[in-house]
Amino acid sequence: MRQQESILEFRRARYLKLALLACIGAIALYAAHDPGPIYAKRYGGTWVGYTLGGLGAFLILWLMLLGVRKRRYGTSVGTLHGWTSSHVYLGLSLLVVVTLHSGFEFGWNIHTAAYALMIVVIASGIFGVYAYLHYPTLVTQNLGGETLESTLLKIADLDRRCRRLALDLPDEANAIVMRSTRSSTREARIGGSLWRRLAGDTVVCPTRAACQALMKIGAGYVGHQASVNGQLLSAMTRKSTLIDRIRRDLRYRALLDVWLYAHVPLSFALLAALIAHVVSVFYFW
Amino acid sequence: MELLVTRHDTEDGAAREQRLPGSVFQLGRGSQCEIHLPDARVALTHARLTLGASGATIEAVEQRFVHNDREVSGAQLAAGDTLEIGPYFLKVDVASSGAVLAIAVRLSSRVSTRASSNALFRVLTRAPRLSKRRLSYLAFFGTLLVTLLAPIASDLLDRQQLPLAEPLAAGAVQAWNPGELLRSHLTFAHECRACHKVAFQRVPDTACNACHSSVREHVASSKMAGSTAFTLSETRCAQCHRDHKGKLAEAHSDQLCAQCHARIEEAASRAVVQKVSDFGKDHPQFRLWRVGPRDPQGHLAERSNLKFNHTLHLDPGGVRDPNSRRRTVLACGDCHEAEDGGARIAPVSMERHCSSCHALTFEPQVTKRQVPHAALDEVERSLREFYARLVIGDVPAGATPPRDLPRLRPGVAPSPEERREAMRIADERARRAVRELVQTRAVCSTCHYVERKGQGERTSWTIAPVALTSAWMPAANFRHDKHAAQTCITCHDVRASRRAEDVAMPDIARCRQCHAGAQGAPGKVASECAACHRFHGGTNTWH
Repeated sequence: MRQQESILEFRRARYLKLALLACIGAIALYAAHDPGPIYAKRYGGTWVGYTLGGLGAFLILWLMLLGVRKRRYGTSVGTLHGWTSSHVYLGLSLLVVVTLHSGFEFGWNIHTAAYALMIVVIASGIFGVYAYLHYPTLVTQNLGGETLESTLLKIADLDRRCRRLALDLPDEANAIVMRSTRSSTREARIGGSLWRRLAGDTVVCPTRAACQALMKIGAGYVGHQASVNGQLLSAMTRKSTLIDRIRRDLRYRALLDVWLYAHVPLSFALLAALIAHVVSVFYFW
Repeated sequence: MELLVTRHDTEDGAAREQRLPGSVFQLGRGSQCEIHLPDARVALTHARLTLGASGATIEAVEQRFVHNDREVSGAQLAAGDTLEIGPYFLKVDVASSGAVLAIAVRLSSRVSTRASSNALFRVLTRAPRLSKRRLSYLAFFGTLLVTLLAPIASDLLDRQQLPLAEPLAAGAVQAWNPGELLRSHLTFAHECRACHKVAFQRVPDTACNACHSSVREHVASSKMAGSTAFTLSETRCAQCHRDHKGKLAEAHSDQLCAQCHARIEEAASRAVVQKVSDFGKDHPQFRLWRVGPRDPQGHLAERSNLKFNHTLHLDPGGVRDPNSRRRTVLACGDCHEAEDGGARIAPVSMERHCSSCHALTFEPQVTKRQVPHAALDEVERSLREFYARLVIGDVPAGATPPRDLPRLRPGVAPSPEERREAMRIADERARRAVRELVQTRAVCSTCHYVERKGQGERTSWTIAPVALTSAWMPAANFRHDKHAAQTCITCHDVRASRRAEDVAMPDIARCRQCHAGAQGAPGKVASECAACHRFHGGTNTWH
């Protein structure tokens, strides 16, 4: 595998060419097809319709095999890189092949439902491609030279430092620091549910709130207390920055993962709808 | 110069001394650093310590550090100072035994341990409770149940005629319906089995014939020899008639007709019809039923054996009514009445349309009665009965017996001789009346062609049989009611017609003034073949 190529550029976009070939072939077939004198209308029941439908069904089954292939670490049937590349391009070609198969006939039935499912699966897949190409870079940029673990250790250190510094301040300020440092280690404040992770650094942050409160209270301090408060604020701000960095990190990781919760289950729903579509057409032939 | 470093962060906890020569020392987690602080919280090269003539200084390289509890980026070091870099706690001591500076390195007890942060890490990135695999199973089997298993199950139950199965099947199977049915099929739209008799088998013709039993061949199979056409038994109804294509979709297509009719001489060498592919561009001139070839002047003539003058009857000044002596202006509809809901025009009837003016009276001074509009022998028979009644004195109301008519005495039963004489007189008077009608007054020949045979008493007359054309173009499914917006003379201009032989049927050019072919044309009605013709034959407006 050539590390430098993205999945879109795999082997000089070999599968892009294949997918374009499939699309152009499908369009040419559709355009050249004379649906005959009975109904001057193209639809899935003509021989061209069956051909395009068969191709579409084959492509869907093929695309779903990626889920099998990526779990086969020992196999040498192509590289996973290549499989993913073909998954992306051939998946996009379905938009053309299956739309032409439908002959633009839509209705409130399982046939159109299967089509709609396919569109949603492809749309989530398009987001997936964007996520895979976009977020890993952001993850690296966000953490800089650090790792998630080292950042967490630093936050814990800062917490201890803040608590120690706050001991020199009046009860009021001390309480604010105690509250904010205690909560920062609680799971719910960083990460947590999927929605919290997706929210990233836009959540209500107790550390940020504590900083603002300290700034207000600290304006009245003089001498040693003012100097300690200054150090405390510096530490709290650093901590706040680190926490936001982790939240962003978790958000990027969540975005890399969340689309699969639509893509995978809906593609299985699509598989079921596809089976129902094919069986129903021939059940009442 | 030399730096003395005492490490207290060793594995076994025993203090270990290092003497480091030089004047510049790096602190960091990288192994190239002289003061190696292996921890993730320490930067690769965190700070730099410099020994100089004026003492020791430390400045940050990559990250700031804590000096005497203050976060700084550089500091002058003195004995007793403390430094915190990550988890490391460095204490500056008085130099001894030749070293410029002594530093004790400890792992701070005040910072988090790795173990506790690992727990935090696990909590933060724990896997969501939602499993993609479980969701996928749910989505697959849920969809399969709703879209496939439920409709099949309800259809099977429906065939067992179980209670509740029917509405269930209707709902479930409806989801399979790929498109709207034809309007006429909507009554059994929920009964898929009405047409789809057997699962996984195509719709059989028997399903269609259950209702459409009278469908006829396009061409009688006896005439089909030598043509490329096929009989109904050689194809399926659904080959042409595909349903679920919308309420109005029917198998009407000019292309379909043109497949054979555009090259009819190849498709059916014995066909009587001519080549046609499109009404607007490629359709032969209309051929009229029972009308012979055109005369040398190019006129068609209908041999109806009637006489009629349209010009006279349609005189804008009106025609004189012989009874009222008033003039009446006639319109087309006075004689040509609509029938069949206006689709067709009924044949003209003597009794209804002519007799109010053209009375068949005889001996007007005797009676106002008329002879029946019938064959001459029937006319004579009814006259004979009339005169016989006069002779025997049974005078019908309104009749005045002629003075010269011998009559029997009323109230006395006639003798056989008297009866025979009465019949002879009636016969003679009847013959005389017929002769007067046909010959003297020429009442019949006003409209009919009358042929005379014989002389004197033996004279007989024959009225040429009337052959009116009721369907001029029986193959066309023309409806007058759909053309009610037009006047009669738009298509049938008889204003200058003085003879019954004149044909006033429109030619194709007249129709094309409003009708274009299937593709349509600006300002014209798009008319495909099926607008006028029926594929399966069968009844149309005209037969």
